[in-house]
Amino acid sequence: MSITRRQTLAGLAGALAVPGLSGSVLAQAASFRIGALNPVTGAGAPYGSGMQKMILAAAEMVNAAGGAGGRSFEVFAEDTQTQPQAAVLAAKKLIEVNKVQAVLGTWSSGVSLAVVPLTNDAGIFLMNTSGAPALSVPPANAKGLSYRYQATNDRFGRAFAEIALKNGFKRPATMAFNNASGIGNTEGFKKAWEAKGGKVVEAVVYEPNQPSYRAELQKVLAAKPDVIVTGSYLADTTIILREWFQTGDAAKWIIPAWAANADLVKAVGNEASEGIMSVDSISNEGSGAFKAYDAAYQKALGQSGLTNVYAAMTWDMVVTLALAMEAAGPGADITAINAKIRAVANPEGTKVSTFAEGKEALKKGKINYEGASSVLDFDQHGDVTPDFAVSIVEAGKINRKYVVKI
Amino acid sequence: MASAADLIELMLSGLVSGLVIGLAALAITLVFGIARFANAATGDVMTIGAYAALMATGATGSLALGGLAGILTGALTGMGSYLLVFRKLEGRTSVAALLASIGVGFVLRACLGVAFGHGQQVFQLPLVRPFRLYDIRIQPNDLKIAAAALITLALVFVVLHLTPVGRRMRAVADDPMLARVSGIAPKSVMLALWAIAGATSGIAGILIGIKTVVSPEMGWEMLLPAFAAAILGGIGHPVGAVLAGVLLGVVQELATPLVGFTYKIALAFVVLLVVLLVRPRGLFGRIEGVR
Repeated sequence: MSITRRQTLAGLAGALAVPGLSGSVLAQAASFRIGALNPVTGAGAPYGSGMQKMILAAAEMVNAAGGAGGRSFEVFAEDTQTQPQAAVLAAKKLIEVNKVQAVLGTWSSGVSLAVVPLTNDAGIFLMNTSGAPALSVPPANAKGLSYRYQATNDRFGRAFAEIALKNGFKRPATMAFNNASGIGNTEGFKKAWEAKGGKVVEAVVYEPNQPSYRAELQKVLAAKPDVIVTGSYLADTTIILREWFQTGDAAKWIIPAWAANADLVKAVGNEASEGIMSVDSISNEGSGAFKAYDAAYQKALGQSGLTNVYAAMTWDMVVTLALAMEAAGPGADITAINAKIRAVANPEGTKVSTFAEGKEALKKGKINYEGASSVLDFDQHGDVTPDFAVSIVEAGKINRKYVVKI
Repeated sequence: MASAADLIELMLSGLVSGLVIGLAALAITLVFGIARFANAATGDVMTIGAYAALMATGATGSLALGGLAGILTGALTGMGSYLLVFRKLEGRTSVAALLASIGVGFVLRACLGVAFGHGQQVFQLPLVRPFRLYDIRIQPNDLKIAAAALITLALVFVVLHLTPVGRRMRAVADDPMLARVSGIAPKSVMLALWAIAGATSGIAGILIGIKTVVSPEMGWEMLLPAFAAAILGGIGHPVGAVLAGVLLGVVQELATPLVGFTYKIALAFVVLLVVLLVRPRGLFGRIEGVR
């Protein structure tokens, strides 16, 4: 991309004109700057654009409703490339150059764990969609400014245990990719399963980038499990399933949906993927907030909002932030706004589905925002508990079967 | 405790993995023996071979043609890297060439990432159930991979030991100055060397791609075990590299019932450390005098 002198001048003139305009026309003292830091490229690319567009759409909606706490949102968008290094650079730029007061929508635990020290140092919000249990507690969440809109890996593990129970499995074994997210899934499963009085017959943790996982599989299969629960990613799951099928042993699989997706089915074929149970957290489908989000998603991307659970989360990030700002009142600082996040999102209070509705209801008393991504009740760690859906692979198609609540 | 059949199956699995790693180690050791530096771009030439094979297989529907395309692309990439980069660095220290090879690897990997994206791709080969031989499961795809690796090894050794160009290569490896005064033109020898090393890397990449998944980082991630095998085998010693690859593969798999899976990778490096401490020239290497 080359920039001519004329474009530079035009840009400078525009930059000078914009603050003048917003100051006079909207008569608002200040704007609240948010950074939309999303995986537009890299492994998160299927979700990233939608996530970013929903931050922009929700911010526009808040501004159209007269702003939050007397301020309107200004959004600065960046790409994490789904890589911690690139994400840190982008976050630095957002914080130091754009002076944002909240970073919204980081995806994948590696990225969120890399960005959270920066937002903590700057004393601003980080709202993420990652699963690693480490994000709940200090040092990552030492200041209580980090909020997670996705289920933790631990909660995924609990959902796996519910599903195993519901299907009547007796002898589960686990296989986990050796990182915080993978082990978080299987440890969460083990805890929940043992709390139900069950026993995990074998637990294997494996390393990435191996030419073969046959020894790992042999150990798991030797325990004669009736189901294998994984905390895994796409590439290793592909290799493991292909090798498992070629051992000729029978097994059922419960796999998180970010690994057990259409790419996996394509890679291993219909026969080896038949009957895999794919588990994902799902949006708060059927809620009023989801309808509003879905309409915005259709308008921006021409697709159903059901196709992107993470975009519903970023939509909710903007709405909860705006409602907390409205509740905290004009000119509130980050600490004052932070004190209001749970107050507007958790029970008790009038249930509301949109920012405009919430703004009205706040005049009368407490509110409880029921989100598009989940009912959005934050626990003491800033974590939420969405519902989960179980899909089963049948003849190469991933068909949703039922919803699990934990 | 694992049964005898389980152990034998582990050994077979390690044998196949080890043969593939051994191929990569062979490419490293060939370059080291003659061009005298550790080529860190070997892994990425493997990746290029895998992608070329994947594309050609997709276009022609034949894995054999795809494999040929992968081998050819690997050879051309090897020769190209010599002509464009390593030839200019001849006469410099081996550290300069090593650093340049890391750079070449980066460029190749980045190009693949831009061209094909970072998502995984797979060879769509039919998955086959195993057959049993004395209660031991034999996987037909394993046999094919092992056969391909063995044929490659046989061809490389035929070239090295039974052809004039191989003889010239060995002469350069033995003593570059003596080879030169005997009238061996270095450039043609070097081109042949890089073609063979590139083709071998290409095949190793294809076989790993078939066993696992193809992604721009796959070869780079296989580099460390391949280096370990090259050093263990006595660097610059082709037979040693292959045997060391097989040895490491088998030892890693057989040790898993004892040390677990997290430490099986570390085990390769423990073996390597011991070798370097006790027998620095590797299993088959010779002691070299200071030149």
